[in-house]
Amino acid sequence: MYSHLPQKADPNPPQPTTLRGRRPEFTDDPMLDRLYAITLALVAELSVTRARVDTLERLLDRKGLVGSSEVENFIPDESEATKRGEIQQQYLDRIFRTLTE
Amino acid sequence: MGDMHQPLPWHQIAHHDMLVETTHDERARLDTIAHLNVFAAQRLAPTVKTAFERKGVAPADRHEVRQAMERDPAFRAWSLVRRNTMEMRQKTGREIVGRQRTALRDKADQLNHAPDGKRSGLRLDPNLDVPRYVSGVDQHLMQGGYTAEWLERDVSNAANYDAGMFATVGGSAGPYNDAAGRALCEWLRREFPAFVPSRIVDLGCGLGHNTLPLRELFPSAEIIAIDVAAPMLRYGHARARSLGIDDIEFRQEDATRTSLPAGSADLVFSTMVLHETSHDALPKLLHESYRLLRGGGLCIHLEQPPYRGLSPFEQFMRDWDGRYNNEPFWSSLHESDLQQMMTKAGFDSELVFETRCVAPSWQSAKPTEEDFGRAPAWYAVGAWQAVEGSTAEG
Repeated sequence: MYSHLPQKADPNPPQPTTLRGRRPEFTDDPMLDRLYAITLALVAELSVTRARVDTLERLLDRKGLVGSSEVENFIPDESEATKRGEIQQQYLDRIFRTLTE
Repeated sequence: MGDMHQPLPWHQIAHHDMLVETTHDERARLDTIAHLNVFAAQRLAPTVKTAFERKGVAPADRHEVRQAMERDPAFRAWSLVRRNTMEMRQKTGREIVGRQRTALRDKADQLNHAPDGKRSGLRLDPNLDVPRYVSGVDQHLMQGGYTAEWLERDVSNAANYDAGMFATVGGSAGPYNDAAGRALCEWLRREFPAFVPSRIVDLGCGLGHNTLPLRELFPSAEIIAIDVAAPMLRYGHARARSLGIDDIEFRQEDATRTSLPAGSADLVFSTMVLHETSHDALPKLLHESYRLLRGGGLCIHLEQPPYRGLSPFEQFMRDWDGRYNNEPFWSSLHESDLQQMMTKAGFDSELVFETRCVAPSWQSAKPTEEDFGRAPAWYAVGAWQAVEGSTAEG
């Protein structure tokens, strides 16, 4: 939004994401290769999420802090919801990596 | 599923000052990648073999296996899982390192700065002509390869490599990722207990994982670790110092033409360097190891096993990295007759040998079975340098 203003040199420039060398295609339909890539990223991210939920549930249980009904009825406040939105964006960037990099 | 070998969780990696900081989810992501690799090797690779056997063909070589298999659904699915796991591993490493790149650089600066009155063990050469076969390749899908720098005195790709390798091999190289170095030490200790080199040169040391075990075995030797990649050397020297080792020299030099005098070393070695060395440079690197050795000295290069002697199917499976993992010199290296190349490089053919180096396993790391090149065991080609006027083995 402020791109017309003079910019300071970024002290930590983003690393390029493009790989030198051809990305192989293993199926006869390039869309199928992309679908595999997206599905595998989802597999990985679901696994990460399950690990986090497992961590939380074990900690809560260990400390006797939160029962399962409190989890079921939880509604985030505004800033919590914004933070969740940012996490969503990073999440989608990972899932759709093969279309953007 | 119960008999599946479990990768080590990422949090068991050895901690040191240069190690990246990670969040819960980043560690979980690295663990997922390790599990995907194990799953691909132990559950999916056998389905490729079954599919091959069902075809009932008898190919003469790996090229014929490829013709039979490259459209096979089992092979394609295994490949898609492997390739995508590697891409995800690189992205995860990039994300982790990207947000702490400047902090890592500052830590490396601090550790690499020589204490008052002392010479730093890090010797960079900004004028070195870095060979294209290293700088022009994104080895194993690592964006920018070993030499790229995204900011002044960058260590990003080295930090990414260090953290990610543990996930890629599922911790099978131990908490310090140093199994090849330990395998070499174990071999030396067992086979040549009386051999005590006074100067050791590691050609293509990367970030020095496999150099450090040599310090433990030979506490009084001078050790010089050479590489062309400045980010790897900066990180490697800083990592060594944070692990309490401050007497290994990390020098930016080309291993095919070092500035070290001829006949000045007793042990010249490399680990997993030959398959990332171009066809043209490989004989030069072998000749350089010959040139550096004094009489009675030992040269030894650890690598993945050559294809010779393996079934065409196994050769085809091992060749995957050469075709799909940005390892352009992989296939030709594994088809080379390295013993003959060592002889051509100057060594006496009577003193050239092949052997196998196996790392002693860590307490929690179960011995892994052959995993298409990812078990902590290596093929090695070596030679003793003839003593002047004699052909007796050192």
